[in-house]
Amino acid sequence: MYAILPHLINGITLGLLFALIALGFTLIVGVMEVINLAHGSLFALGAYFAMTIISGGAFGSTELGQWWLNFPISTRYVAAAVIGPALAGLVGMLIEICLRPTYGKASLYGLLLTFGAAVVLEESIRIFWGAGEQSLRTPAAISGAILIGGMIFSIYKVYAAAFAIAAIVGVWLFLEKTPYGAIIKAGAHDSEMVRALGYDLSKLRLFVFGFGAALAGLAGIAMAPIWGLRPHVGLDVVIPAFLIIVIGGVGSFWGAILASLLVGLSIGLTGAFLPAWSMVSMYLLLILIVGFRARGLFGRKSALEN
Amino acid sequence: MTLFQATGLQKRFGSRIVLENITLGIEEGTVHGIMGPNGAGKTTCFHLLTGHYAPDAGTIRFAGRDITGLAPHRIARLGIARSFQIMNLFDDTVVIENVMLALPAFRARSGSLFGDCFANTRLIDAALAVLDMVGLAEKAWSGTKALSYGDRRALEIAVALAAEPRVVFLDEPTSGLGAEATRALASLIRRLRARYTICLIEHDMRFLFELADTISVIHWGQVITEGTPAELTSNKWVARSALGEVV
Amino acid sequence: MMTLSDIPPKGGSPLTLPMAALVLLLLATPFLVARLGLYHYLAIEIAIWIIFATGFNLLFGYTGLHSFGHGAYLGIGAYGFGLFQHKFGLGLWSGLGAGILAAALAGGFVGLFLSHRRGIYFALLSIAFGQVFWFSAIKLHRITGGEDGLLGIPRPPLTLGSWQISLADNMNFYWFVATLTVLVVVFLWRLVNSPFGRVLQAIRQNQMRARFVGYDVWRWKWLAFTGSAAMAGLAGGLLAMAQHSAYPDVMSLHHSGLVVMMVLIGGGLVNFWGPILGVLLYFLVREVLGGLTETWLLWFGLMFITMVIIKPEGVAGLLGQRAASKAPTVHKASAGSAP
Repeated sequence: MYAILPHLINGITLGLLFALIALGFTLIVGVMEVINLAHGSLFALGAYFAMTIISGGAFGSTELGQWWLNFPISTRYVAAAVIGPALAGLVGMLIEICLRPTYGKASLYGLLLTFGAAVVLEESIRIFWGAGEQSLRTPAAISGAILIGGMIFSIYKVYAAAFAIAAIVGVWLFLEKTPYGAIIKAGAHDSEMVRALGYDLSKLRLFVFGFGAALAGLAGIAMAPIWGLRPHVGLDVVIPAFLIIVIGGVGSFWGAILASLLVGLSIGLTGAFLPAWSMVSMYLLLILIVGFRARGLFGRKSALEN
Repeated sequence: MTLFQATGLQKRFGSRIVLENITLGIEEGTVHGIMGPNGAGKTTCFHLLTGHYAPDAGTIRFAGRDITGLAPHRIARLGIARSFQIMNLFDDTVVIENVMLALPAFRARSGSLFGDCFANTRLIDAALAVLDMVGLAEKAWSGTKALSYGDRRALEIAVALAAEPRVVFLDEPTSGLGAEATRALASLIRRLRARYTICLIEHDMRFLFELADTISVIHWGQVITEGTPAELTSNKWVARSALGEVV
Repeated sequence: MMTLSDIPPKGGSPLTLPMAALVLLLLATPFLVARLGLYHYLAIEIAIWIIFATGFNLLFGYTGLHSFGHGAYLGIGAYGFGLFQHKFGLGLWSGLGAGILAAALAGGFVGLFLSHRRGIYFALLSIAFGQVFWFSAIKLHRITGGEDGLLGIPRPPLTLGSWQISLADNMNFYWFVATLTVLVVVFLWRLVNSPFGRVLQAIRQNQMRARFVGYDVWRWKWLAFTGSAAMAGLAGGLLAMAQHSAYPDVMSLHHSGLVVMMVLIGGGLVNFWGPILGVLLYFLVREVLGGLTETWLLWFGLMFITMVIIKPEGVAGLLGQRAASKAPTVHKASAGSAP
């Protein structure tokens, strides 16, 4: 009976990390009414940037690189966790700029463009970092495993879950307690109204895309030690993000959190019984739910339903 | 005879009750108007009567047959056609195809994988006849997008007529039309009333009072009163509801 | 502006200039390919993808249903053909039939869920189903061979009356595929210009109106989806014959996305021939640019993004614009007479 515990924790950790991805995704969808198919690639980029920052990468042999590598890994890790998402955010903003000509046209074009961006980003990753599997070094304090009651628990997963919770709380505080966050929430609900109130919609969109991308990058860094780093890990992530949005509803904060936990748990628990099929459970969940309730559990009608 | 009978229709969206108790009957061969202030539920009523939404309660009978809750395409095939306030045309193609698609004769051969519809003179002639009714026959081969607003409104109605309906529902057909186009539309409706039963929603009171035989007034989700234009002119409700100028 | 719903001057007749150009192209491809120093196999690939992409555009461009998971049906067709050869015995037409049937069944099943939807939900669900199929192909090791693929798929000979033509040789096989390609393209050309095709286009242009003039839109969308899946199945069966094997990779989102990119770049959103132009461009980039650099897919992707931003009408749209600016516009026959 207790053998299920590690799987449950796996599921919850996965769910919390998915929540980070999904939050960025749902904000973008809400404010911009664009499905960002490149979200997964931004997730991957964050992780790859972080990996290079920690290990020095191609710059390792330079003087600057050598100086940098003298710092303890925990310092480098923290720096990576800040700079990585920031860089991902910048790339996100670049995507938003490319998207501008498609606003006002059929939603197909935005979808196609972000799809193209996903392909380009994935290829760029493959070219710059190589196609093989890579790994993200983490400080010793949060790595390794401990044995409790005959079961192995990964320390990193606990850390990752805690990290995700902290990040989610941070996002919540930002959305609820800051004026900028209020504008974003309003924009996610009704962008026309936001513009009518005099806010600069284009700056809002730029920021939201960057913010969403940074969240994805952050999630990427947290997930990398669990899922590994491959160029096409991007597409592996977009699908669950999609599913979560549809299950939890577009533009809904709590919907995203709850749906993420649902999806994470279903993967974790399926992993207990049918390990090979755990990822497929996500898709089946989507098909089941969208088949019965078009707007998900919490969703409000959006322009996505043309 | 009463061609169309709606009884006790109710429609709710979430917790908002839009239509509470709509009961109205449309006599065959007449022009039946529906009026009411904005937000009263006129278009929702149309949506119920033409099958776009299913009512939460109540029944709709057409020529004695219960059609409540039938899908829109089935209702269309029974001889009920509608035009839309926000125009719904086939914009990528030419004017005549808009009408052709609606012809029952075309629908009958729509399963054909190899035919050539634009070489079928019978279909083309039938479509041209419909376009002629609304005065668009000369523009049959123009692109739909190239039409003027007034012509698009006319086409909007032509598509409904092409389906050879028994009753035609027109949703605010004068929307956005200038005085002359409105007059042309009025004379069109007068020509049509011989062949079709017509039900129309309108904001233009003068237009409605000129053409309608009976008018139902919808307010607060119900039909609060009904009568001939003459009867309504002296009705206190109508006057009080600030429905605009009544002639 | 060019649209898919433009009425061709000769209606559904296949005797048109672009069709002749296609036939010439297919005749010339093996020689062109050889001149570029590439293998004849490439010509086979191009022909197969022309079938796949043009059939796909029936759904994507003509009906306006944006499926991002169509590679699944290509793969199912391939597995269907291969499994038929392994379990039931050698048979060219029966094998291809099996591939088409398998893909059509899968498409018909998925269509039950998808035909209620359109837009983003449709795309999303199509991806979900595509991934389920892809995953299943990898995991159902005993049936499909998993990641190692289904191997040893033969090319049954072509039997015409008392003659038997071996398709083992790539050139022979190419002529076989090219003939099928022409037949499929002619079939699709007639289809999109038939009443059936026009109704699909009406649904693309205005689904609500189509419904209100009496069309059971759900059924039409289902037919379009299943039909395009069947055609993907044919392409898949040919692919299995071509490479003597079937792999899960064509069913991935990556590959499904490739056909979408080809169709858009080529101009499939505005023109029947767009998908073919897109296929040709893709292979040109893959082989010529790919011969020079590893990063060719990156460039193709950038080309795609640029097209989406600047010219979603694609190459066909560009060519159409140039043709329109040169020749005076010919107006349709006046009222009263049919073309």
